[in-house]
Amino acid sequence: MIKKILAGITLGAAAAGLVLPAHAEYPQRNIQAVVPWGAGGATDIVMRSLIPHVEKELGGKFIINNRTGGTGVIGSNYVLTQRPDGHTVLLAAENAQLYPLLGLAEFDYGDFHTINIIGQNAAVIAAPADSPYNSMAELLAAAKDKPSTLRMGVTGAGGLPGSVHAMIEAVDDLKVREVTFAGDGPGITAMLGGHLDFMPLSLIAAKEMITSGKLKGLAVVSAEENPALPGVAPITDALPEMKKFLPWGPFWGVWVRQDTPDEAKQKLSEAFAKAVAKDEFQSFLTKMGALPLNLSGDEAKQYLDRWQSVTTWSLYEAGATQTSPEGLGIPKP
Amino acid sequence: MSEALSYFTMAWFDLGLLGLTALGTFAGIYIGAIPGLSVTMAVSILVSFTFGWEVNQALALIVGIYIGGVYGGSRSAILLNIPGAPSSVATAFDGYPLAKRGEAGRAIGLSTVMSVIGGLIGVLVLASAAPIIGNLALKFAPRDYFLIAGIGLLLVGSLAQGSLAKGIFAAALGAIIGMVGMDPVTAEGRFTLGNINLMGGIHYVVVMIGLFGVAEALGMLHNMGVAPVKQKVDKIIPSFAMVMKFLPLSIRTSLMGTIIGVLPGVGGDIAALMAYDHAKRSVKKPTRPFGEGAYEGLVAPETANSSAVGGAYVPMLTLGMPGDAVTAVIIGALVIHGLNPGPMLMVENPHIFWFTVGNLALANIFLLVFGLMGIKLFAKLVEIPKAMLIPLILVLCTVGTYSINSSMMEVFWMLGFGIAGYFLKTFGFQMGPIILGVILGPLMDTSYRQAMSSVGDDPLAFLASLFTNPLSLILTTGLVLILLSNTPLMGLIKKRRAAVA
Repeated sequence: MIKKILAGITLGAAAAGLVLPAHAEYPQRNIQAVVPWGAGGATDIVMRSLIPHVEKELGGKFIINNRTGGTGVIGSNYVLTQRPDGHTVLLAAENAQLYPLLGLAEFDYGDFHTINIIGQNAAVIAAPADSPYNSMAELLAAAKDKPSTLRMGVTGAGGLPGSVHAMIEAVDDLKVREVTFAGDGPGITAMLGGHLDFMPLSLIAAKEMITSGKLKGLAVVSAEENPALPGVAPITDALPEMKKFLPWGPFWGVWVRQDTPDEAKQKLSEAFAKAVAKDEFQSFLTKMGALPLNLSGDEAKQYLDRWQSVTTWSLYEAGATQTSPEGLGIPKP
Repeated sequence: MSEALSYFTMAWFDLGLLGLTALGTFAGIYIGAIPGLSVTMAVSILVSFTFGWEVNQALALIVGIYIGGVYGGSRSAILLNIPGAPSSVATAFDGYPLAKRGEAGRAIGLSTVMSVIGGLIGVLVLASAAPIIGNLALKFAPRDYFLIAGIGLLLVGSLAQGSLAKGIFAAALGAIIGMVGMDPVTAEGRFTLGNINLMGGIHYVVVMIGLFGVAEALGMLHNMGVAPVKQKVDKIIPSFAMVMKFLPLSIRTSLMGTIIGVLPGVGGDIAALMAYDHAKRSVKKPTRPFGEGAYEGLVAPETANSSAVGGAYVPMLTLGMPGDAVTAVIIGALVIHGLNPGPMLMVENPHIFWFTVGNLALANIFLLVFGLMGIKLFAKLVEIPKAMLIPLILVLCTVGTYSINSSMMEVFWMLGFGIAGYFLKTFGFQMGPIILGVILGPLMDTSYRQAMSSVGDDPLAFLASLFTNPLSLILTTGLVLILLSNTPLMGLIKKRRAAVA
């Protein structure tokens, strides 16, 4: 009797096993969306606004999972260790492109398959409202006058302030005291209290502070004015040589494991492309001062390669890292 | 003014909003009571969940969860000696001894009333002085955070019952656990043994659940045969006279909690521990010795952690900067709902401020109702036979830990800390100082390095800065006084004074 039941179960399971692949369409279950940054941060906010649109396009449900720590290493590494069936996706920012250079991990986005590069944020150099410096040129002059006295907020190795500082150092002199904070938020708070002289920030974090007059925008890190921040001069006004690094900015994207089935890759790419293109999401991004990109395939790859080459080489040339990008196989821009 | 009032009462007279606030508060109590399930987590899930809702509805539900959740942590702290959240660690010090005396019901009743008093004082401060305190909080420089962490670490003196040496050892152990992971400045791995999974450090809630939950469960195995204490379930609601008696203390600790809550980066957990320490120093004749079920030891942390909620909203509403992890998520929710949380929030959306204040007050009233409901049933939890209680605790600890990051590795860590905690306890080490070290060690580390790099890594300039700035001078004086009061010197002075008198 028991044998019969067991045989029945086995047969049934086998039948189901044979039938399933033919009928089951991706996604078969909820998709785990790993955000390697904390809830409430810029990356988290962008992803939580995007995912409801993607769910409609894909016809599946995403469970957002904030797996934080180690400048995003923990969450990204987690996705690399999950089964490559398309049911675990990484929703992250630019950081992984610097991991090998900074020795944080051996992988970068070259080890993933890029589903979409959602958009690019701008960087802005901000100072307290009552700062004596009104432009990038004045700040540079002050730093040259008294080297290593200005207090600049940074967010640790691989953070945006460090990269911007490295680019400036690659073309000019800006010797400062680097004070490390856990992120843009704590840095802004310190600047509001007058405990920092300036800090390169992501526009998304600084925009409200600058437009309300609590902080002063010294320069946007781009070759022209940013429509979201009128009146703040482009950094090329004071440092024309910066042009070779631009356009540059932190970005957000979506990745899965390289060996994910093509069906899942394709469906995800289509769903994300449609969701990012939605008017609602586009206006959300522009309102925050970000530039929508919506890149996939070869375009995305070129974008990632260029970003990595520009950033790693300027970090290296500014002496922020001892490791040469050349040794890691990253070509010079 | 009338406009403010209409925003304030918006949720009071709208049946939908009223219901959502009530639902949030009720759910929050139970989410908060389970170790590992945190308010931050619940709120971030709600952000996606309420995506299509109106912003006021989402805010009403979130406020409820926040108020309920902070309070909920005291339940498990009192009944099982397992704090539901780090902000309830101090509640367990006297709350659990009360339960062991058969006064679990009374302890829950008192902590409910005190949480509501603390919560309302926090809201009152938020409503009356938000911009002023918000600006004051900005004045705290890295060196001041360093001093606060220093003062906090001195709490070891009052948390370590018995041996001070063991207390210091425990706090140092905690500080080392807190250091595991990526160095915040150089991104170098510290104590990670080259393992990539340790780069993110060990989550302090994982440590807390292990040290309190699992260690407590293992400890229970020693007295399986002992019949549980029969719980007295009369006089659950504290009398008016009792509340009045503790009012001066609760006002002091509430103000402490609010101020600490306003400071970004420090919150209810540190507030509650500092308030407990304050009660221990300032109350000359507690109802019972502290640590053996003093009501004062319950009043102080419960008022402080609830009042910190009002404080955390101050920088969020005035500047758009988060006061703690929960308000950080709320700011994210506002962005998703199309608002611009920032210094202009109160100008562009004046209703948000008074709506939130009114909602917080409302949630506190609901808390009083839901908190006092069903206490008798909860108190019976302590009477459950150990053979059922122990597996239940272990299951809760595992589920709670797994839910933090969906990581099995953290579950193993939690179990490891549980076993280590059991042995430490057996040899007379306290768990409180370890948690203190885990929380304050990293704060002290980062703020010290920020302060040092701000003055160009010049130790003399750093020392001078501790005395030349008025705010830092006050904190430095406080630190030195507390340090002296823990040394034999103070005893000598007191003796001499007594002799003179």
